[in-house]
Amino acid sequence: MEQKFQIEERAGGSTPVIAVSGEIDVATAPQLRECLHRVIAQGESTIVLDLLDVTFLDSTALGVLVGALKRCREAGGDLHVVVADPRIMKIFEITGLTNVFTIAESLQAAGA
Amino acid sequence: MTDTSDSLQSGDRIELKFPARGDLIVLARLVTSAISARAGFDIEELEDLRLAVGELCLLTLQGSDARSGDLCLVLTVLDDAIGVASTLERATAGDGRTEVEGEDSAQLSEQILGALVDEHGRESKDGQVRAWMRKQRGGHAE
Repeated sequence: MEQKFQIEERAGGSTPVIAVSGEIDVATAPQLRECLHRVIAQGESTIVLDLLDVTFLDSTALGVLVGALKRCREAGGDLHVVVADPRIMKIFEITGLTNVFTIAESLQAAGA
Repeated sequence: MTDTSDSLQSGDRIELKFPARGDLIVLARLVTSAISARAGFDIEELEDLRLAVGELCLLTLQGSDARSGDLCLVLTVLDDAIGVASTLERATAGDGRTEVEGEDSAQLSEQILGALVDEHGRESKDGQVRAWMRKQRGGHAE
């Protein structure tokens, strides 16, 4: 079954967590971009992006993640991506982005 | 895949046409997944084709300066492969409906297609962009 696209912001810990579920594609990626940019604009330079419940990711989504990573690093922080699904991990691998992002298999490993 | 009445045979051709909007590319993914399953592709290949066809549609939209029209997808079942071609039809400029980001994203699309399918390409003629791909059954392009 298709999972509805949702973004949830979890503050409270030392690092803000943005949890996404469903499909991130050309239709939904702008919402994620807006959320990431807003959190960075609020002064957060390091963010954990929880993609554990993401069922699909395309090049548009990757473009949004790369843009957010640049902003985080310019602010002296980082964007930690949490991925466990091999299908999602494969997209990072084939685009060479495993060498660009800090990728963890769990929220705990990402320091959230 | 067993030979059931809903399976597709070599030479079968399916056309899908929808307004060229990013939020409708999901239709291309769904149809390609269903057609590929009926053409005998395994589950890993279905996932590859689902992702690849979305990138093919994005490349078609990225390669055009048009801002409207229909995206036409033609899926052709071959002996041991499936071919998919995507073109933008009836395109006109100016109403801002096909808002797809440019060349950075196109590079990622090309990389993804290169890893997931056996052949792919994009050509432009008379202002019309056509992107195409072919994936072999049992080939695992990556």
